[in-house]
Amino acid sequence: MDQFFHRMGDGSAVQMTAKQIMADLVEGSEDAADRGKIPPLAKEEYDYLLDIFCSPHKFISVEPGREVILTYDAATLKIRRVGVHVDRIQALQIYEKIMGADTMELAHVDYSYKPVKPIATFEQPILEQALLATHIPLFYGAQPNLGLYSQPDGPFPNPSELMPMGKIKEAQESYEAALEDLVKDIVFVGSLMYESGADGINLDTAGAAGDADFLATLIATEKLKAKYPDICIEIGMAGEFVLGMHSQLTYKGERLAGMYAHQQVKMAEAAGATIFGPVSNTNTSKSAAWNLARAITFMKACGEIANIPIHPNMGMGVGGVTVNDQPPVDVVSRSSAAMTTLCRLDGL
Amino acid sequence: MIDEKILKTAKQTIVEQKKDPAVELVQKALSDGIDGMELLTEGFIPGINEVGDQFGRGTLFLPELVQAADVMKAVTDLINASLPSQDGPQEKGKLVIATVKGDVHDIGKCIVVSLMQANGYTVFDLGRDVDTERIVEVAIKEDVQVIGTSALLTTTMVRQKELEEALKSAGIRDKVRTIVGGAPVTARWAAKIGADAFAEDAQDGIAKVRELLGA
Repeated sequence: MDQFFHRMGDGSAVQMTAKQIMADLVEGSEDAADRGKIPPLAKEEYDYLLDIFCSPHKFISVEPGREVILTYDAATLKIRRVGVHVDRIQALQIYEKIMGADTMELAHVDYSYKPVKPIATFEQPILEQALLATHIPLFYGAQPNLGLYSQPDGPFPNPSELMPMGKIKEAQESYEAALEDLVKDIVFVGSLMYESGADGINLDTAGAAGDADFLATLIATEKLKAKYPDICIEIGMAGEFVLGMHSQLTYKGERLAGMYAHQQVKMAEAAGATIFGPVSNTNTSKSAAWNLARAITFMKACGEIANIPIHPNMGMGVGGVTVNDQPPVDVVSRSSAAMTTLCRLDGL
Repeated sequence: MIDEKILKTAKQTIVEQKKDPAVELVQKALSDGIDGMELLTEGFIPGINEVGDQFGRGTLFLPELVQAADVMKAVTDLINASLPSQDGPQEKGKLVIATVKGDVHDIGKCIVVSLMQANGYTVFDLGRDVDTERIVEVAIKEDVQVIGTSALLTTTMVRQKELEEALKSAGIRDKVRTIVGGAPVTARWAAKIGADAFAEDAQDGIAKVRELLGA
């Protein structure tokens, strides 16, 4: 039986038969369906995925006319992180003029709203210069990062220390107090950057510290939208479901803990977000086929229910892409093409 | 052979985090002459496994996980105390767990600690941003069998490799087992640096510790 080049979720190369790949596609999709209480993929979708995984070509793409926009978070950091010594504006120009980015984000190296707050007025002129030096829509963005508000990084007791001691109520109260400060910081920085001309504000890796982190993101979005009705806000998620670190928090009457992408997007819509970036995580012990079918099942359900544009996260460890420092082009192109072909989405 | 109904109730007390009914169940079972170890392994442990599974699926959350771990500890203590001296209390194993130096992410590590404790392991939680030397020092002092480290950043993963070297330098590499985890960490990385195991998530961590210790 023919063997095809394939990868595991950690990027390692393996050989698999078409039958094995198909079995993993079905299993991955059914895992997502079971977790999210959403439909699995249909036969023709499995067939398409099998085709691209069995293709001998290194690079897979979409038919002309089916391209979607490509937008990037934190890329001003990523260029320098790999040792290319350019300033942030030059990094934005590289993404726009050389790599074909459709939108970009200016970000500070600390990449969280809290540390940006005291230097926001120093960030404003850089944003203004960057806007003059580029043509594509330019966001200012950072992570909500609620973890920075608890000890030793912030004033509130650390819930991660309180919980193991059984101090659940105290931990929950700490989350509730911290999220109020986080909302203020996001609104403060978001307002300044919007008034400096940012085309949008990005709230990246929302929910990284759990449901309180996500709730703060939603409330901050609501407040910014009330203050500036035309503001564009993108909410990009941290993980495929909202971790219930507090567990009882609600927004618009819905419990946030445990929400998957198709439920999260309704919260983002209700808060007034303009774009939503859902996530599906890669399991490094499973094959690329398993991971991609699973990711598409989640993203498809999200796209079908969304009333705002969605831009699924694609990259190291998300969107069916393997966990490599430099994700291989075979898996990135297959994942991106499949996501664009099978899901109702507006960008990646 | 314990009545299926009793085992099911034992499991439910853990999943539903009901401490008083769990304690009462153990006390009655022991007074009725039921084998405490069997009740633990066939009733309560499947309960904590179910809790771990539900946590991983996003249908049960950290406060519930912590409360379930508390119930588990209460019943384990009672059952251990009831065992004849030659049978127990049995220590399943001692672990040091830490988030490596330079890395301040401790949510995942906190979850691992709770589940390990719930499964009866003695855990020395060193917190986050922990020096490699400190991990080795505690491992020697507490005579642990397993060291688990978490790294959430590609820039801090290298500390897990540093730990492998530090354990060799300290002359205890063959006495401890190492498990690595964290978002960018993979089985391939574990093999590359010479760690004994990679854990995909908290529940997988339990499985790997069981494999390594046979307990």
